[in-house]
Amino acid sequence: MNAIEIRNLTKNFGPKQALSGLNMTVPQGVIYGFIGENGSGKSTTEKIICGLIHESGGSVKLYGKPHTDADVRAKIGVLIEAPGCFSSYSVWNNMKLQAANLGIKNADEEIIKVLKLVRMEGAASNKYKNCSLGMKQRIGIAMALLGNPTLLVLDEPINGLDADGMRIMREVLVDITKNGCTVVVSSHILSELEKIATHYGIVRGGKMLCEMTAEELEASCRTYVALKAQDTNRAKMILGCKYSRVEEDEAGYIRVYDMTTPEEIVTHLYENGILVSEIKTDKIGLEEYYIDLMKEGKR
Amino acid sequence: MTREIKFESPSFSKRLKGMLGVDFYRLFHTPLFYIFLGIAAIIPAMVSAMTMMPDQNGNTMTPLYSNVWQIIAASEPLYVINSIADYANMNMVFIFGGIMVSIFIGHDYKSGYVKQLFTTHAKKQDYMMSKSIVCAFAMACMCITYFIGGTVGGLLVGYDTAVNAGSLIIAILGKMIMSIGWASLYTFLNVIFRKFFGISIASSFFFGTGILIIGVAAIVENLAIPTAFLNIFLYGSSVNACLTSNVVTLLVCALVSVAWAVFYNVLGTRILYKSDVY
Repeated sequence: MNAIEIRNLTKNFGPKQALSGLNMTVPQGVIYGFIGENGSGKSTTEKIICGLIHESGGSVKLYGKPHTDADVRAKIGVLIEAPGCFSSYSVWNNMKLQAANLGIKNADEEIIKVLKLVRMEGAASNKYKNCSLGMKQRIGIAMALLGNPTLLVLDEPINGLDADGMRIMREVLVDITKNGCTVVVSSHILSELEKIATHYGIVRGGKMLCEMTAEELEASCRTYVALKAQDTNRAKMILGCKYSRVEEDEAGYIRVYDMTTPEEIVTHLYENGILVSEIKTDKIGLEEYYIDLMKEGKR
Repeated sequence: MTREIKFESPSFSKRLKGMLGVDFYRLFHTPLFYIFLGIAAIIPAMVSAMTMMPDQNGNTMTPLYSNVWQIIAASEPLYVINSIADYANMNMVFIFGGIMVSIFIGHDYKSGYVKQLFTTHAKKQDYMMSKSIVCAFAMACMCITYFIGGTVGGLLVGYDTAVNAGSLIIAILGKMIMSIGWASLYTFLNVIFRKFFGISIASSFFFGTGILIIGVAAIVENLAIPTAFLNIFLYGSSVNACLTSNVVTLLVCALVSVAWAVFYNVLGTRILYKSDVY
């Protein structure tokens, strides 16, 4: 049984169609990276899954049941945008209120457990308003984890975090899935998402462009040859005459995406009087794959 | 790794208990509640004291009231007001109460608490009920501080204290019971205007003043139609709880208050179910 199964989901905000027949399948126990441009429908989809907004059409099933069922809702943890906390209360009191709403019996024990999981056990007495952005995001995750949910929906949890904050968040998300929890996480920081996601869904214009596992992504990411030459511009021009796709990246490497070998490129440049100082083969990452996909979509 | 999932549907009592716990905790831990309790106590005391203050020429003003308890409730049901004294009694609590409820519920949306709440198993009717109960309790507490403030103010000014104790108690209880209906109305208004905090406050204030019923009462009186039917409205029943009240008045208050509370709760729940929450 899948954790989430969405079919033909539509959502209209007045005349604007935010979702137009979106399909989505999230297996249990995975970290599902939900990717898309601003306004592509990620947050709308997540809000529908969480019951914050109503769908205009289509079906949303969580563990095979309608997503509006109270028993299913009891199994979901959510962090949409910022956590819903009272700023003048302490972290502990905010957690206690959420635990009371969820009807958790041994609340103190569970709060300590989830605060430890998000590395926030030392900040329980801090007032929420005095917490940093990174801490607030982790508090939001801790609140979402109360009640031992089996599905966690996180909207942009790593936005605005510093490098250390991102590392902690990464570790936290991986820890959460160790006990079988399914995590749906949307983010624009694809390089971070790539480090933890086991499945991906790429959405565009309110539709799912593609869904794939990390392995499938790895297999479909193109290999390229990257090199540095003495005369970059001339090397680019010469290579451009022979190969169909030659680009220069931000680090000054010339990338040749066609099926070829470093030896063939070095020989070709040498024959044209250019010496290669550095050469390697590499694969494009999620970010580049995503950008390529978007470009193809636009074309 | 997948894990076995056991689905449990939390019972209504469990859900409501949890939500009431949170709302009562919030009520007792917000300065807003204590500020409004203070306002409810100070206003009647100030009204009493000011009516006995000398004017610019040093002449003592004509007292608005002849009796301490008229600050608590009118001598008889006065749907149409001729002076501020006819209006200024414990019914004013429902105006302050409306503002307090608007701020209290407005904070639910501002903080994102509602978003957090409705992503759990919480149901919309639980939310409406919990808010109505807690806000009714807060307004009933304000009735008590109003009574204390009014009594102390009236006694200090030196008003007469003669009263039918039974009617006075019934009037106070009647108004406290009316808090249930008023709180439900304000919760409903705040659910409708949840995205517009200013309009929430303004609408609560507007309905709290009872101006609509006062207007209708004026027309009805001019047409020489009996005004008793106005008791089916919240403001009408609140006015009806006066110093000539009896047990029937109390029953009418309970009936009207609960009926409107149910009406507003059902309507508010439907609106929450039909609309996007956040």
